Amino acid sequence: MELFEFLTPLFVLLVMGGTFVGIIFGAIPGLTATMAVAVCLPLTYPLGLENGLALLLGLYVGGISGGLVPAVLLNIPGTPSSITTTFDGYPMSQRGEGERALKIGIFSSLVGGIISLIALYFFAPALADFAIRFSYVEKFLIIIFALSVMAALSTDLLIGIFSGFLGIFISLIDTYDVEYGGNGNTRLMPESLEYWLEGGFSLLPVLIGIFGLAAILHEAEAGVPKGMSMKDLKVSSKNKFSFSIFKDQIVNLVRSSGIGTFVGILPGVGGSAASILSYTYAKTFSKNPENFGKGEPAGIIASESGNNGLTGGALVPLLSLGIPGDSTTALLIGAFTLQGVQVGPLFIGNNPMTWNAMIVAMIIANFAMFFMMFYAIRYIVMIITVPKHILFPIILMMCVVGAYTINYGIIFDVWTLLIFGIFGWLAKHLSLEIAPFIIGFILGHSSEIYFVKSLESFEDLSIFFTKSWIAVVLWVLIIGSIGFSVLLSRKKQDNTANEVAD
Amino acid sequence: MRISRRLVLGAVAAAALATTSITAFAGELPKNVRMVIGSKSTGGDTYQNSAIIADALAEKLGINIKVDAVGSTEGFKALKRDKRGSTIMMFHDQAYLGELYGRKGYDDPFTTYKIGAAVAINPGNSYLVAKDSKYKNMTEIFAAAAAGEKIRVAIQPGGVSEIGFSAMKNAAKVLSPGSEVNLVAVKTGSQSDKNQAMFDDLADVINGSIQANEQFTQLPADDQKAMRFVWVTARAETLDQAPAKGMGDTTRDQLLAYANPKTSVPLTKSENFTFDKEFFLLYNKDMDEGMVKQIDTALAEIFAEGKIQERQKGSFFIPNFLPSDEASVYYMGKRDIYRKIIQDITK
Repeated sequence: MELFEFLTPLFVLLVMGGTFVGIIFGAIPGLTATMAVAVCLPLTYPLGLENGLALLLGLYVGGISGGLVPAVLLNIPGTPSSITTTFDGYPMSQRGEGERALKIGIFSSLVGGIISLIALYFFAPALADFAIRFSYVEKFLIIIFALSVMAALSTDLLIGIFSGFLGIFISLIDTYDVEYGGNGNTRLMPESLEYWLEGGFSLLPVLIGIFGLAAILHEAEAGVPKGMSMKDLKVSSKNKFSFSIFKDQIVNLVRSSGIGTFVGILPGVGGSAASILSYTYAKTFSKNPENFGKGEPAGIIASESGNNGLTGGALVPLLSLGIPGDSTTALLIGAFTLQGVQVGPLFIGNNPMTWNAMIVAMIIANFAMFFMMFYAIRYIVMIITVPKHILFPIILMMCVVGAYTINYGIIFDVWTLLIFGIFGWLAKHLSLEIAPFIIGFILGHSSEIYFVKSLESFEDLSIFFTKSWIAVVLWVLIIGSIGFSVLLSRKKQDNTANEVAD
Repeated sequence: MRISRRLVLGAVAAAALATTSITAFAGELPKNVRMVIGSKSTGGDTYQNSAIIADALAEKLGINIKVDAVGSTEGFKALKRDKRGSTIMMFHDQAYLGELYGRKGYDDPFTTYKIGAAVAINPGNSYLVAKDSKYKNMTEIFAAAAAGEKIRVAIQPGGVSEIGFSAMKNAAKVLSPGSEVNLVAVKTGSQSDKNQAMFDDLADVINGSIQANEQFTQLPADDQKAMRFVWVTARAETLDQAPAKGMGDTTRDQLLAYANPKTSVPLTKSENFTFDKEFFLLYNKDMDEGMVKQIDTALAEIFAEGKIQERQKGSFFIPNFLPSDEASVYYMGKRDIYRKIIQDITK
């Protein structure tokens, strides 16, 4: 039977081994799923296409999922797509609910992965056809929708928006390439720094600087901190994990997985946008939006099912159009090119065995991830009992290694880590808001590209409103999201005023 | 003599330094070599070609070679920094076209670096229209431009993708002076952007490649994504060396119909334009000549064995080994030809 041609013990071993290594890469701050795939890519040629893909897909699923561990336990997102997991995961961890938060995240990751896989298996060509209806205009509006979350995530609306715009501004420091509508020159930097800054600040060093290094600096400032004791980790019946928590969250779970899948399908929108959008939606439609950011399980569910939904989604354009959906699948395509296999609209029909092998590998990887992480969680959670004077130097070292390796050995990325670590530490003292800042930084560059390319292509500002029905729907969502943020902010102000009056 | 810890450390450090120096004096590549490439993608032809060469070289020389997809800017920087031979670069004609088109980060590669051996040609650079386009071939495109119709061509500016567009403008000028203004560049980025420009009806013609676009040409005409080749820029002699089965469902003979001389893009009244995308190595200007010779000799042996050609052809590359001194002279000549073309068009 055709299935057993690829489903060998080696195949299963490679998926499971890949998932395990991927989880470790994802869980170590500074190392990412993309890095894990990059490191193992050259190994895939001797393994052959199916076995090579088994390894890489395991790394991909494991890497994306592992990112939630440091996000929850240390407030450092292991991968860019787990930023929103820190918002509620870390507060839960501080309340002694780290294990519960992790289990919620792991189960959500599994559901996100499986839903996106179903979408990939049954609808890949149709979804790819839908994806190409998203031109520069629609992609710009999606980015704006994701940016609108800046307001919802702000403690103070004005400062939050200012921080977000600062993030956008810093993301624009680079060479304004002619292919993006620019003049090919560097911008927003003194001439003396051109050598270092012509490629701009890389995302990962900025991220681990702002979350990782800044957190270490804050703790150092606060004094010599201790790790939590085992007593702190003791699970009381009140905060014990139970699957019943998902009873009220089915809509959130399915919607967030769907959003993740959908964002993955759109090339160029970027993986981080998946969890940001899922989180925005979850907050907007929640009965208790004010609880988000304070340890609300629904926030973790949205973020983790969203970013794992991306895994299947990002494979849709890869296998139906030959275009990678995110940075990791951009590396994955290398496995095909190394074997001399064409990836394009006829790939699935022409290569049924490889296609089936990929789907089976993804199913195994998702379940392997679930069982490995779910049952290892009680040991993983002990990380926070490690005394900080031992833990922090190790994290710092891994952050430096990660920053240095992300672009294959650029020392300026280590400087970026340091600069943004200090910036993150200063920002807290200056009351700047980090979440909107980082979202602005992640999405700023794409928003500019799609805005300029829309105008360049259609030469008319009204195109943003009239391009298609998709554009109209996106406008409704953007206005809804902004309106909701303003209402939430007003409500918060009224509550504060009432408290003061009382 | 008292043997202190400091003395031992000093002796070990001196020995390590001496070993390194001996290796350098011997003019041999170090044990670990980094091959940076001028592309950030691991899904493209530059990575694919580099991986094939790196694997073969590493095996032949008994060293480790790691391909790093850092992109042209960082690749050139790394190459300038390292004269010990631990960083070498694999790139293609973009190395000098970037400078000719005035792109930032590109210097004259012939004076800034040492040109290494040539290893392969990718004959895939091509131009496509939508399958339901009213233009069926290059002749119709030039005729439409001569009749005053605007033809929008999606390219990635400043290099290999643009050279074909420059040639199209030049051909329009040769065939019907003044009509070249009707060929308009739509500046885009990656292959997916160029494809999307066609799907969005923002471009009539797109730059692509046989490898990346062939499957789109097999789609039925009523599919929004369906495309048709109109021009393959490679020389017929180059394409002739490709496997007869061609790429995907398009045979070599079918591909030859889109290349010179069957498809004509005039360079002058008597000569047609062709362009082969060729891959070669670049080294730091001061890298030891012994190392250059070592790579040349190893590659000569690898190509003489004949195994690498199979892998190259399997990935639709045309094997093309030239030792570094011959490659340098050859590419300098090629650069001069394209410099003239670009100058003529921009006059």
